[in-house]
Amino acid sequence: MKRLLGVALGILTAIGGFVDIGDLVTNAVVGSRFGLSLVWVVVIGVVGIILFANMSGRVAAVSGRATFEVIRERLGPRAGLANLSASFLINLMTVTAEIGGVALALQLASSVYYLLWMPVAAVAVWLVIWRVRFSIMENVTGLLGLTLVSFAVALFLLKPDWGSLAGQLAPAVPQQETVWSYSYYAIALFGAALTPYEVFFFSSGAVEEGWKAKDLAQSRINVLVGFPLGGLLSISIAACATVVLLPAGISVTSLSQVVLPVAEGAGKLGLAFVLVGMVAATFGAALETTLSSGYTLAQFFGWSWGKFRRPAQAARFHLSMIVCLLVGIGVLATGVDPVLVTEYSVVFSAIALPLTYLPILIVANDPQYMREHVNGRAVNALGMVYLVIILVASIAAIPLMIVTGAGS
Amino acid sequence: MTSAPLPRVPHAAGRILDAQLHLMDRQVLDHDGVPVTTVDDLEVSGPALDVEIARGTPPPVITALLTGSVLGTRIFGGRPPSSRLIRIPWKDVAEVGVVVRLGVKGEPLDASWVERWVRDKIIARIPGGRHDPR
Repeated sequence: MKRLLGVALGILTAIGGFVDIGDLVTNAVVGSRFGLSLVWVVVIGVVGIILFANMSGRVAAVSGRATFEVIRERLGPRAGLANLSASFLINLMTVTAEIGGVALALQLASSVYYLLWMPVAAVAVWLVIWRVRFSIMENVTGLLGLTLVSFAVALFLLKPDWGSLAGQLAPAVPQQETVWSYSYYAIALFGAALTPYEVFFFSSGAVEEGWKAKDLAQSRINVLVGFPLGGLLSISIAACATVVLLPAGISVTSLSQVVLPVAEGAGKLGLAFVLVGMVAATFGAALETTLSSGYTLAQFFGWSWGKFRRPAQAARFHLSMIVCLLVGIGVLATGVDPVLVTEYSVVFSAIALPLTYLPILIVANDPQYMREHVNGRAVNALGMVYLVIILVASIAAIPLMIVTGAGS
Repeated sequence: MTSAPLPRVPHAAGRILDAQLHLMDRQVLDHDGVPVTTVDDLEVSGPALDVEIARGTPPPVITALLTGSVLGTRIFGGRPPSSRLIRIPWKDVAEVGVVVRLGVKGEPLDASWVERWVRDKIIARIPGGRHDPR
């Protein structure tokens, strides 16, 4: 019974924790411009994150090594440092975007200007990292994030023409858009689903929670059931935007437009739920990204890290996270639009993907680390296919960004 | 340079370690499993560079794991002066596996001085800094 509860809790937190500011914004933008014609990218992205999150979790559980230690060992210091610089900067951008997202969601709920909420959000993030236990942090934000299911509920209440909605699922460039901007947003969606911080966080979290090889079955269920359901949440955000915003010609530039369909479909109650969900999801992701910046630095340089230790026993780890939060506050204080930061961060994520995923694939095949838990053939084949997709997305990202003027 | 084939590698008992593969860039844990640093470089005894090696010279051995500024020079080139190297003597190494384990506590080592400084000057002074999360 206790075990069953554990599995259920794990799945629910995986669903609730799946969506972050990148998914919220990108899916709504895509839905309002391209309808459902890019849903296939979300599906590819979700399969990819399942594959690699599972793999990095398995490496961490069996060998006790988190992803960035593995990256340094396998790529050496030079390529490792290049990867660290890229991953860390993107992560910092994502921290900034998530804190901005918390502040914007709180602004929607309270009508208090978001720049006033921003320091509050950052301090709250720090306090949780400083004081709250890892498992409590994960479960509370994950469960509250489940209220984002209001997007799916609102979709049903909007009573769309399901037939025509399903007809849009085929990949096709809408008439008023170019093939370039279509590809650009395909990469943005892919980057939003596969952001590197998720594997850093997932593997380090496995070490934080002391997973052993016997816990692998449970983590596999969490990922295999939770992530696809989380992906469905992402798709319902895009579908809501398709039903309400696309016909009205509204393009998404702020969070208030993201929640507009929920207000129309499910009224005040739905709006209240979705706001709780957005605050929880962005807050949870702010925690995860802040921790990830500490994890990547500490694991590259071999510092002591982890929330399971007293802060004084992982001093450089905690100091680096404090500095990251301060930098995030500084960037937001310049008045830069957090939604814009988000849109850029997901595309840059796509660029850094190959450097992160290749070493995981290599080590997951190394018997010195993995003993009998090395990858099977099917997983390796799928992993290779994804490496090619990731590489193509990574190479195409910057040219497409220039050609389309970042999708405008 | 002579073209004669190199003598065969003498047969050695025990495990053969590849310094590049099994030591470099591995995580170093102390006696209690607390991370100390990463193996940034190795210090090897033996004849100096560009000196003719006399017959019967004993093979070089690893004398210390190196850390600190040597990481920067390894990435960007150059070599720090010997006095600036932070050494973990090889005799402190207890086990080489997926990680390098030391047989001593990491806390008092030279390699931990930055960690100690940040802890004593900053982190431990923030309220709750010594609070055990579990």
